[in-house]
This record gives sequence, C-alpha cells and structure tokens, in this order.
Amino acid sequence: MNPYERSIIHLNVADFAVAVERAVDSRLKDRPVIIAPEGAARAAVYDMSEEAYRNGICKGMALGRAVRLCRDARILPPHPDRYEHAMRSLLKQTLPYSPLIETGEADGHLFMDVSGSSRLFGPPADVAWRLRRQVKKDLGLDPIWSVAPNKLVAKVATRLVKPDGEYIVGAGEEESLLAPLPIRLVPGIERDDLLRLQEFNLTRVSQFTALSLEQLQIPFGARALFLYQTARGIDPSPVLPMGQKPPKVIADHEFGNDTNDRSFLESILYRLVEQVGDRLRRHRRAARRVAVILDYSDGMRCARQLAARPATANDLTLFQLARRTLLLAWTRRVRIRHVRLICDRLIFPPAQLKLFADEQRQTQKRDNLVVAIDSIRQRFGTQAVRIGRTLAA
Amino acid sequence: MNTQTTHNSCRLWVGTSGYSYTEWTDAGFYPPGTKSGAMLPLYARHFPITELNFTWYQMPKVHVLDRMHRQAPAGFRFAAKLTRTLTHEIDPDQWRGQATQYRDGIAPLLQARKLVAVLLQFPPSFVRAPQSRQYLAALLDELDGLPLAVEFRHASWATDRVFAELERRRATLVTVDEPELPGLFPGLDVVTNPELFYIRFHGRNAKGWRSGNMQKQFDYDYGDDELRQWADGRIAKMAPHASTGVIFFNNHVRAQAPRNAVKLINLLIARGLMLDILPEGSKKTALNL
Repeated sequence: MNPYERSIIHLNVADFAVAVERAVDSRLKDRPVIIAPEGAARAAVYDMSEEAYRNGICKGMALGRAVRLCRDARILPPHPDRYEHAMRSLLKQTLPYSPLIETGEADGHLFMDVSGSSRLFGPPADVAWRLRRQVKKDLGLDPIWSVAPNKLVAKVATRLVKPDGEYIVGAGEEESLLAPLPIRLVPGIERDDLLRLQEFNLTRVSQFTALSLEQLQIPFGARALFLYQTARGIDPSPVLPMGQKPPKVIADHEFGNDTNDRSFLESILYRLVEQVGDRLRRHRRAARRVAVILDYSDGMRCARQLAARPATANDLTLFQLARRTLLLAWTRRVRIRHVRLICDRLIFPPAQLKLFADEQRQTQKRDNLVVAIDSIRQRFGTQAVRIGRTLAA
Repeated sequence: MNTQTTHNSCRLWVGTSGYSYTEWTDAGFYPPGTKSGAMLPLYARHFPITELNFTWYQMPKVHVLDRMHRQAPAGFRFAAKLTRTLTHEIDPDQWRGQATQYRDGIAPLLQARKLVAVLLQFPPSFVRAPQSRQYLAALLDELDGLPLAVEFRHASWATDRVFAELERRRATLVTVDEPELPGLFPGLDVVTNPELFYIRFHGRNAKGWRSGNMQKQFDYDYGDDELRQWADGRIAKMAPHASTGVIFFNNHVRAQAPRNAVKLINLLIARGLMLDILPEGSKKTALNL
C-alpha cells in the first residue's frame, strides 16, 4: 500500500441528468423533473430530481407509476449527448489541477488526486471549494464535493451530504466515518454480500467491523479481505490517470427493431465475438473476462460478466462464454435495443498446455480453425468465409 | 500557577491559522510521514492555540470537533472561523438555519471551555452599506452568547460608529496585518472588547494578494523588525485594554507562519508581555525551524 497520505477530491453533481437539463432550461428549477425515454411501451425512469425523489420516485421505476405518484412532474427524454458534453466541460474545469482525474460515464462523478500539489494550488479543501464555485459560475451545475484520503471514503462522504454540501475527511477518520452507517451505503459491497450479511443479521458497518478477518473468511472465503478492508475505509486503488483506463476491447450492436428473438440475438452476439476476437488476436492478447451489457427498450440496463479460465482469444471459446453471459443478463421479457460485448483483463496468451491429451486436441483444433479463417479473411476479405450461425442475421 | 499571566494580567496566546498543511511536513515543521490526523498533538507541542479554518469550508460537525479537542492537551484553545454560507455566500432564506447549525456544531468546543472566539471573516466585497449593516446586526444577534470576533476586509468599515457598536455588543474587532493596498481594511489598534483582542497576520504580499491563489496571497516571511514593531507598538498598546489577546499567523506557505509565530513569541517574552507559551500539561520540545 502507498505509505504516503493521499488527498482525493470527489465531485458529484447530484441527479446529473436533471442538473444538466436545468442548466439548459431554468424553468425546470424547483419543480419535480423525471427523465425517461418517450414512446417506449414500458418506459422506466432514468433519472429524477430531488423533488420527484421526495414524492417516492426512484430510478428504474415504471414511468406510468412514477407519473401517478407525482402528477405535476415535467417528463423529459434522456439526452445522452448533453450529459456527455456537460461531463466534458466539467472535466475541462478540473484539468488544470491534476493529471490524475477519473470520471464515470457521463454521470456527474469525478475523482481527482491532488496529493502533493498543495504548495502549488493550496490546501485540497480550497481547491475543491474553488472548483465548485467555478463550475457553478461557468456551467450552472452545483457539485457536492468531498476531500478524503481515498476514493472509497470520498465517495461515501458525498453520499452522506447529498443533495448539497461538502465533507472533509482527514486521514485516520475513515473508519469512524463509516462505522455508524448502514452497510449498503458502502460502495464495493455488492448485493450478494448484503444478502449474506443479512443472514447473519449484520446491517451496520460497526457490527461488521467487530468481526475479525478469520471470522469473515468462514462465510466469505477469498472475498473476506476485500470486505474487511472496505468496511474500515481502506482503499488503496489509485485514481486512474486520464486516458489510462485498463485496456478493453468493445463491440456494439444497436438493433433497428428491438428484438427478443433468441437465435437472432445469438447470431448478432457471434458477430460481436468475431470482431472482438479479431482485435484481440491482432494485438496478441487474450481476455480473462467477458461482459455483456444489454439495454432494454424501456431504458433499463443489465450487465453481467464471467471470468475466462484460461484466458482466451479464440472465437469459439469466447462465444461459449459470451452466450452464457448473455443468458445471465437476459432476465426480462422486454425487447432488447442494444447489446455490447466487452473483453477485458487482457494478458498475453497463456503458453500453458492442457494436461490431458483430449482437451489439448480439442483446443488445438479450435485454434487451427480460427487461424485458418483468419488467414482466408486476410487474403480475401471478411465476407469470404462465414460461420453458418451468422448467416441468419 | 498560571504560567501565562503577564504583569498587566493580559494573557496572550499565539498560534497559526490552521495547522493541517501537508507542506509543513516538507518544510520540516512536522516529522516526515506525519499523517494529517496526527498533526494536532504535534502542533500543540509548540503552540497553545490554533485557528480552525476548515469550519469555513464546511459546517462544523459535532463528532469531528469532539474528537479534535480530545486530541489536544487540556489547556489548548481554539478559535473557529464562521462557515462561508454565513459570511461569503449568504442565502437570505437559509442563513438563520445555518447559524443554528453552526452553534450546534461548535458546541463541543464551547462545552469543553476551549473556544476562545468565533471568527466572522467577511470578504472584501462586503462593503458597509445599509443592507450589509442590517445583515451584520442580525448575524451578531443570532450568534449572541458566543465569543465573537469580526474581521473586515473593506476599509469602509473603519469608522467609530462601527467600533462603538461592536463595543456595545462586546464583540471583538479583528486587527489585521496585510499589504497596504487601496480599499483594504487598515491596521488599527482599537480594542472593542475588554475580554479579547484578536490579531491576524496575513503577510504583506501585495503582488499575490489578489491573485486568487492562496499560495501566492499568503506567501510572506515577516522580518524581525516588522515583528518587533508589532510587539513594541500595537500589541503592547492593546494588551492593557483586554484580559486576553489572541494572535494568529496566516502566512502558511512553506511553514512561514509557525516560524514567524515562534519569533513573535520570543519577542513578546523578551518584552515581558508573555511568560511561557505552552499550556499547562503539554510537553515542551525544541522547535527546530
């Protein structure tokens, strides 16, 4: 772990989509606003304002129900381009202060590591305050800010003061900040963990931290250490510098007509696998993880991922894995609008051979097949040879 | 025996504005690797008082201040800045609620009898005009009962009527040392509260003052002569008029503030205005600056 004390600023524009819309149209101020796709049969709430939230509306709720709960709400369609633009402007404001800035996906969240720059820019709290003032003046957005020794605690701190305010957490105060909170407020602790914790009747962080690492290892196994540290506000993860996100290979398909036809979806998935596999092999990498993100026509999104063991760049192996991931993510009957395939945790292809001759022969056969297809395509074009499964699509 | 009683019975306390600066570690004031959470006990080895400036950025929180004052020795004292939503970013509809929140947040220091003053520092844009006068009066009413010290940054407030009103309310007018720039509140030796006078040394960096960058604004190293003038002049003059005097150095850049504070303490001791800087019970160590 890093022995030096870090200062991480977290800027969080509460209800980002609504805040951006309000910056564009000031008439939306102080009244309930709901953002949801128009025209969708079973549209779901994408984001909402604080006023709407107080009326009982939450993200993902069916729009019809939301409207019944809050009759005077203004309903706006999502404008992802506007949010991205606002996010870029926000990022631009912060760039002068640090090379280490990590943003979420146009969601109004931004981490910046300002450790060691106080001689240049002043104390971190002052940088954060000035940034907020500047962002308010220039962009009409009013971010919540926090300063903390790590990302985890900084994020919790802004959650605590939402919808407006600021929070300064000094080094050494991490554990006491988290202790009185409900465990579900701590980022990184997932739904499965929470369910397991509930079985033990643990709901507060302080109850959880009363347990030793050895005790936690019994129900949580390898995950115990992560949970043990997270509940104590220990988070060594760095703020990822600009443009140095972990490499991943991504392929997308947007359906012209939303679909829930399984064979059609699988043939599209195979095409995506081919694109991803081709790029992986060209870069001589293999993926250790495959993820599928589905966007339903009502705006709901579901993402699932599976580990690839061993790492692979072979289309046939990748497809098997991608299909399993797809089925994990595909839990609703609503039609699907968009599918995205992501391969990440890239490594150089493993040189380890299979232990048993049968398996080895199988892998060898698959690799030979893919190499053959690749060489044909290289010479005669992508369309020269196709897998039967993709012909239907 | 109280080691800080002086001949004229005015107790002087000298410290710095804020103590949690990582650059003070680089400058050698704190030992290498000191975490910000461990700075207060180290600071308290050198100074008996500090001015909290984080309460300007965020509303003070009970548990934070409670833990903080327990970290410091028994005789240690605090002054705390008033939150910016009451001095710089005033919302006409919200400020009364903010004042109540502030009172609640600061309560641990008050209860522990460690709060010397609440500093109301107004920006240069807070000019003497009917509206701001009304606001100031209402704010002083709202915070009544707390030990209040008011710092103006605009020269328009330097009139006898203002001083008389502060005197009537037993509120302290903060004396400042800052660059001589047009429009800034002048350095005066007016004592409006027989219980407390309050001096802040901001440094005299005229070039950096309006740069908008704290690191330039408060980058200044006081010379011996400049400090001696204060010790022999204004401080000696003000001391007989109040039972307590607090003095803070705000030129935090490169740990110049603690260095200058130690210099001033030595001058005040030499002049017989101060006997010992350290609170009872704290351990004295040499200050290697």
